[in-house]
Amino acid sequence: MSLSHFLAALDELVEDATRSLASVDSTETLEALRVKFVGAKNGALKSVQKLLASVEVPDKPAAGKRFNEVRDTIQAALDAAAAAVGGTGSGKASGPKLDATLPGLRPRLGQLHPITQTIEHLKEIMGRLGFSVTEGPEIEDTWHNFVALNIPEDHPARDPLDNFYLATANKQSASDHDAMLLRSQTSTVQIRVMESQPLPMRIISLGRVYRPDAPDATHFPMFHQMEGLWVDRHVTMAQLKSVLRLFATSYLGSDVNVRFRPSFFPFTEPSVEVDYWWNGQWIEFGGAGMVDPNVFAHLNIDSEKYSGFAFGLGVERLCMRRFGITDIRDLYRSDVRFLRQFAS
Amino acid sequence: MLVSWEWLSDYVDLTIDHEEMATRWALTGLNHESTELVEGVPVIDLEVTSNRGDCLGHIGIAREAAVLLSQTLRIPQPAPIESGRDAADQLQISNRYVDGCPRYIGRLIRGVKVGPSPEWLQKRLRAIGVKSINNVVDATNYVMFECGQPLHAFDFSQIRGGQIIIRRAEPKESFVAIDHKTYQLDPDMVVIADSERAVALGGVMGGVDSEVTDQTVDVLLEAADFIPLAIRRTARKLKLHSPASHRYERRVDSQQLDWASKRCCELILKIAGGELQKGMVDTGEKPFAAPEIYLRVDRIIKVLGIEVPWSTTLDILKRLGCSVIDGGANGTATILPPSYRMDLTREIDLIEEVARIYGYDKIPEDAVVPMVASARRPKDTMMQTVRNVCCGFGFSETMTPSLIGKTPASTISPWSDIAPLSTMVPLLEGASQLRRSLVPSLLASRLHNQQQSNKDVHLFETSNVYLPVASGLPKEQFHLGALGGDDLREIVGLFEEVVSRVCGADLLEKEIQREVVSWPFLQPESGVQWTLDGHVLAWAGVVSRSIVDGMKLDASMGVGELNLDRLLTRAREVPRLQGIVPFPVVDRDLNLIVDESLRWLELEQAVKSAAGPLCVGIAFQEIYRDTKKDGEGKKRMLFSLQLQSATETLTSQQADEVIQRVVGRCKEQFGATLLA
Repeated sequence: MSLSHFLAALDELVEDATRSLASVDSTETLEALRVKFVGAKNGALKSVQKLLASVEVPDKPAAGKRFNEVRDTIQAALDAAAAAVGGTGSGKASGPKLDATLPGLRPRLGQLHPITQTIEHLKEIMGRLGFSVTEGPEIEDTWHNFVALNIPEDHPARDPLDNFYLATANKQSASDHDAMLLRSQTSTVQIRVMESQPLPMRIISLGRVYRPDAPDATHFPMFHQMEGLWVDRHVTMAQLKSVLRLFATSYLGSDVNVRFRPSFFPFTEPSVEVDYWWNGQWIEFGGAGMVDPNVFAHLNIDSEKYSGFAFGLGVERLCMRRFGITDIRDLYRSDVRFLRQFAS
Repeated sequence: MLVSWEWLSDYVDLTIDHEEMATRWALTGLNHESTELVEGVPVIDLEVTSNRGDCLGHIGIAREAAVLLSQTLRIPQPAPIESGRDAADQLQISNRYVDGCPRYIGRLIRGVKVGPSPEWLQKRLRAIGVKSINNVVDATNYVMFECGQPLHAFDFSQIRGGQIIIRRAEPKESFVAIDHKTYQLDPDMVVIADSERAVALGGVMGGVDSEVTDQTVDVLLEAADFIPLAIRRTARKLKLHSPASHRYERRVDSQQLDWASKRCCELILKIAGGELQKGMVDTGEKPFAAPEIYLRVDRIIKVLGIEVPWSTTLDILKRLGCSVIDGGANGTATILPPSYRMDLTREIDLIEEVARIYGYDKIPEDAVVPMVASARRPKDTMMQTVRNVCCGFGFSETMTPSLIGKTPASTISPWSDIAPLSTMVPLLEGASQLRRSLVPSLLASRLHNQQQSNKDVHLFETSNVYLPVASGLPKEQFHLGALGGDDLREIVGLFEEVVSRVCGADLLEKEIQREVVSWPFLQPESGVQWTLDGHVLAWAGVVSRSIVDGMKLDASMGVGELNLDRLLTRAREVPRLQGIVPFPVVDRDLNLIVDESLRWLELEQAVKSAAGPLCVGIAFQEIYRDTKKDGEGKKRMLFSLQLQSATETLTSQQADEVIQRVVGRCKEQFGATLLA
């Protein structure tokens, strides 16, 4: 047999085999093709191999080399087909047996801090009620933290022991008009937005506030508040109650029992404190009220034309209730055994 | 404010039980803290807000109850029998500090018999947690807890010269109070002195010399009005807080002084005997002028969103003690508030009174809230991406205090050379520096976890840093801080992904300038700084050995910080489709032997420029060292190039040409040799 005939037979075989094997879709067809092409007794490859004997001696190395290539190609096509149909096909496992019950590969993901999760949740709820997010500085002057909020010079809230005033080289007095302090409440943002943005406005602001409390399970000198402000021509206390009721229902659940009771804040009047019923007692969850006319006056807003309400809620308390956290200090310890529990 | 249910019933018929009453008070402004039974009597703790000094006595609380229950308030009318001589002949009072003490009334009782109080009085005081001292002192306390006006009894025999002088404290004057402690005074404080020395710190505490003792026979009874600010400063400064200072800080009713003085005298005469000298010495009654407040019914509707019947409105105000003058039927009225309600000066104050008594619960909770568009801020969109990337990269979010203490790490301040701002009072122990970088806090967090044997700590925080400026408020800059393991590429990779996701891969690859930095808090040459538009965007590096050792950290680690405010200036709103090139990418691997000193940044730049526009990507693979084969000071840099043409399928010849150019350039520029 001439070399060219032998090679032609090989070419035909390899083309037939690769084409057939490429479209295998079941283990049955695969097995049939395996027998057809590489079967030990009457496989096509076997048949061609027999022809090798009749090739002229000088041509034998070339013929043999080509035969081996074809054999490897067909075997590779078989393996690929076997992998494609999800079985070993030939029945001969090529490598260790797969244990599909081994645990999966799970790269360790990080997770958000529970306060961040709470803040995002609050933004989402208030966003649906039409409140846009805004921000103000954490370090404030006494005008924004006190004066404009109707907290006059002699008010106890301004006491140096109740605030974190900044120490400056030339003055140590908290009564200075240009004294700066870490804001003690996010209400400062009310003033900032009313100074800079056109009316009407419906905003919330979330951020850190600071008060010198000795740390214990329910107090930490740094915490977060959500401030809300709605100013327009006809904003009423009925809307204040309605918005806070909608908020409470959204955050705490539709079965939540909420009450509104009178309170006192220098920058709102009438003022209310909002409680929810939890574990057999009323828990305060925020303060609110109609913006005091004195606050509007500081900002040259005509309180005969405009009215508005403001509210401030403690984020930590809402967060702790939601996630079952009992010690506020845990929030700020960075212990990964704590942080990793809030993967969600 | 502790209130005895039994005591209250002296002034008002309590027609409901104490639990229901406590709820009514809570829902009208006196929050109910708790109720305890003391000797069978309910004692109710009510929170009195700072504007309601009138509720710091049983009568004030009873007045609220009377309003809520529509009952009549019974206020006793004291009529102590006077005998003896004129008080004015025996006692002189001169007021030299009217700004601190607008009014001072003195009455004199001679011949009292100091001893224990009768049981009924002791029991009432016990119920509200007040210790019985003796009948005279108990009488002053009783009247204070009855009407809210503090009173002070002096042993008149100790008042030298029979003279009371109200004055500012002298500079460096000292004073021994009833608690036998010596206090240093300052001229803002009100001193009650006799002709020789201070006998009381006005409104705060009496002196030890002049207190009423078992030997006291003649009593001078003080009823005074001290100014809140003076009292507050004194009490704070000396840390002397008393029921009296608490009440003065909230302002007392000057019109009530004489009533309280007479009421107390009557009680002393009754339980301690003695003769009340005729009349009194008064430094001067300040006539009370109630502010006239104009009230409009339509204003009430505008504020509350409901209509309160006009007659109900006027009735509530009258029951609260206001006088209605000119209360026309046209829905407006002029209102005069009572002297004990100094918090009522404006129309809005009256509206609040009407609302709270009418009931906040009558204000509906289903008012219309008109819809408005509220879009998410670009910052919130960016932050969602930043957080997602950080979490996806295995970093846990933490939150740490904004103030830090002095540690080896507090010197880390790549964003400012100006000394940090600090607070007068530390936030937490030792922590009074406003942080200029998030990294010191992250290192402290890392240390805490190490102490808890927590492994694999990767943390990030997004928070402000506070950069001092020459004047005005400091610059608050919003940062992403990250702390990883020993491989700095974790931090660099995190920041690359953040920038790429927020601003697009093009900005990361084409606009960020990188440079190596050597900062003392980083290991030598381990730092890299990125700039964007000429401003520092981020830095990353490996923490220096000295900080690691100084903080007793168990390993060095990669840290970094990215200015999110800066990033936001270039954030894209949404990714935009760039089109898809239909021709395949050809990957070519390269393995170059180069000098140890060659940095990837230089190599990458050279490769990029030599490869030209067909090179669409350069991917670092690894660094490998085989000093035996390559010699000392050499390393192998393995990387691959992605080649692609936008207009045709690249031939292998075209690809080979690019590779040849790259290899040639690297040989020329760095002496690199290609490893076959």
